[in-house]
Amino acid sequence: MDRDLFSHIDTDLNSISYLSLNYDHFDSALSSIVSSPSAAPTPPGPNDSLVLRELIGRLGTICNNKSASVGAGDHSANTSCYSTPLSSPPKSSLHPLPNMNPNPNPMPFAPDPGFADRAARMPCFGGGPHMAMSGQHSRVSSSQSLMDAGMTGGVQLEGELPVRENGAGGSGANNGRKRKAGVKGKGKEASLASSGTVNSKISEEDQSAKRCRPDCKAGEKKGGTEEKNGNCSENNNGDRENKNDSDSNNANAKPVEPPKDYIHVRARRGQATDSHSLAERVRREKISERMKLLQDLVPGCNKVTGKAVMLDEIINYVQSLQRQVEFLSMKLATVNTPSDVNMDNLLQKDMPQACSGSMQQPLYRSAFSYPNQPQVAPLNSLLATNSIPNLGMQPSSNLPFDGFGNANPQIGGFWEDDLQSVVQMGFGQNQEAALSSQSFQGSGPSSSDMKIEL
Amino acid sequence: MENPLSEARQHSQTIIEERGKRIKLAAEIGLARSSSGRHWARALRRRLYRKPPQREYIVKNPTPLLKKEVPLVAEVVADVAEEKEEIEDKVRALQRLVPGGEEMEVDRLFEETADYIEALREQVGVMRALACILDGMESRDGDKL
Repeated sequence: MDRDLFSHIDTDLNSISYLSLNYDHFDSALSSIVSSPSAAPTPPGPNDSLVLRELIGRLGTICNNKSASVGAGDHSANTSCYSTPLSSPPKSSLHPLPNMNPNPNPMPFAPDPGFADRAARMPCFGGGPHMAMSGQHSRVSSSQSLMDAGMTGGVQLEGELPVRENGAGGSGANNGRKRKAGVKGKGKEASLASSGTVNSKISEEDQSAKRCRPDCKAGEKKGGTEEKNGNCSENNNGDRENKNDSDSNNANAKPVEPPKDYIHVRARRGQATDSHSLAERVRREKISERMKLLQDLVPGCNKVTGKAVMLDEIINYVQSLQRQVEFLSMKLATVNTPSDVNMDNLLQKDMPQACSGSMQQPLYRSAFSYPNQPQVAPLNSLLATNSIPNLGMQPSSNLPFDGFGNANPQIGGFWEDDLQSVVQMGFGQNQEAALSSQSFQGSGPSSSDMKIEL
Repeated sequence: MENPLSEARQHSQTIIEERGKRIKLAAEIGLARSSSGRHWARALRRRLYRKPPQREYIVKNPTPLLKKEVPLVAEVVADVAEEKEEIEDKVRALQRLVPGGEEMEVDRLFEETADYIEALREQVGVMRALACILDGMESRDGDKL
């Protein structure tokens, strides 16, 4: 019947469960669904909707958790439905949060062979005479050896930082570049960033610089045109210029400035400096910045270069998501549920904005300094509860525009609250559900009109 | 005389479709409510509440090529003019997909798109969970009956 057509949705869900077996919550929720717990001996009716809401709560939150979790499971779910053959690289690079403990998803600090090379080639290391450069070499190698030693090197590196800071101008940038060049040392930055102002400033530059690095390299290859200069802010201006002109050029080494209220944009070499083009450039950078974020959001976009192709991908993804919603709503229509379940209510129940905090903010939201509102996920609209946090992804400090200062409370403590409120609301809901169930069975838009409330 | 069986089947089919549409409507309302601070959510809400519910909110045909509309100020960097045009077309397509997108400029559009994508994802996850649960319940109840 129709069910066969929709069966792959269930397999998707199964794949989600399969891949996230390390999630205790999910496990218990699934087992509770499968083994059909307390509802079995009790009479059907009001209890069913209670159970239903509970399970929805758990599953839904876990689905959100899943979508926020490490890339593999998320990608399987997405790619299986999204059905593009693009392989989705893991999103784990986004997940290690600098705010978190210094060893969340530890990236192995494999010494990058080209590291010293690249670091040495960094013009802003002092941006001065070769002596400084050679001096930098020693520092580079020492930092590398420190990183080889592992995270414990973080402490020692901190000790080194003041030394570097005193070095030739722009050594703050030096550290930023050194640390980010070739090493995905997010965990390292976690330990560093936790220590103090020096580190925080550097980590800020790091973040923007980190974002800029691949772009800068690509941009450089294109002969210094504006192509991929996208989101390179002033931090990397000196970088690229000097790379273009070989090491001996010091004239354009720009020391890094701390970001202020408005974006400082430096004129790059050979470019107009009138306000028009500057503003345009800023705008373009903003756009590219956002495209980057979109790229991270859409699975399988990381390898794609070129705006047109990426836009295509984004469009396809949005369309496929919309189709999925439609598809799922059809599937839900075919499900024969116990009569007291009101689907409309479940899906559109509005939640008061009572997010007590959010575990993770969505990726882009922390990037764009969005007015700080608690965002309630559609999950909340499903559940008759008002305290489920908004689960998304949040590498907030990785991105230059960090408008959020939200704390990250642990989600564990929310469980009991949620379930309790679910149960409470469930009791209140039942009468309403029972009342509307009869009209739900009938056809016609009247029941939906009844449910629609502003 | 029509076969009563096929009539009944058609009837139930229509019922299912009707239900599906209502559910989709509910899902979209839920979606709009979830990020009420967002422009796309407000636009979606306006659209849903202004027009009669029978209207189909199905995605338009997935051909991104459109005829020229209001000239975009899309400052998307591109090498050649035609590439730029192509990109503008795609941006316009995206504008149509994201509710409320037509009124926005490119950078804002991307921001809204990102938020919309996340909200859609969550919605899909929730609906999947619901479908799975209901399936489980249904099979369980079916066995009992």
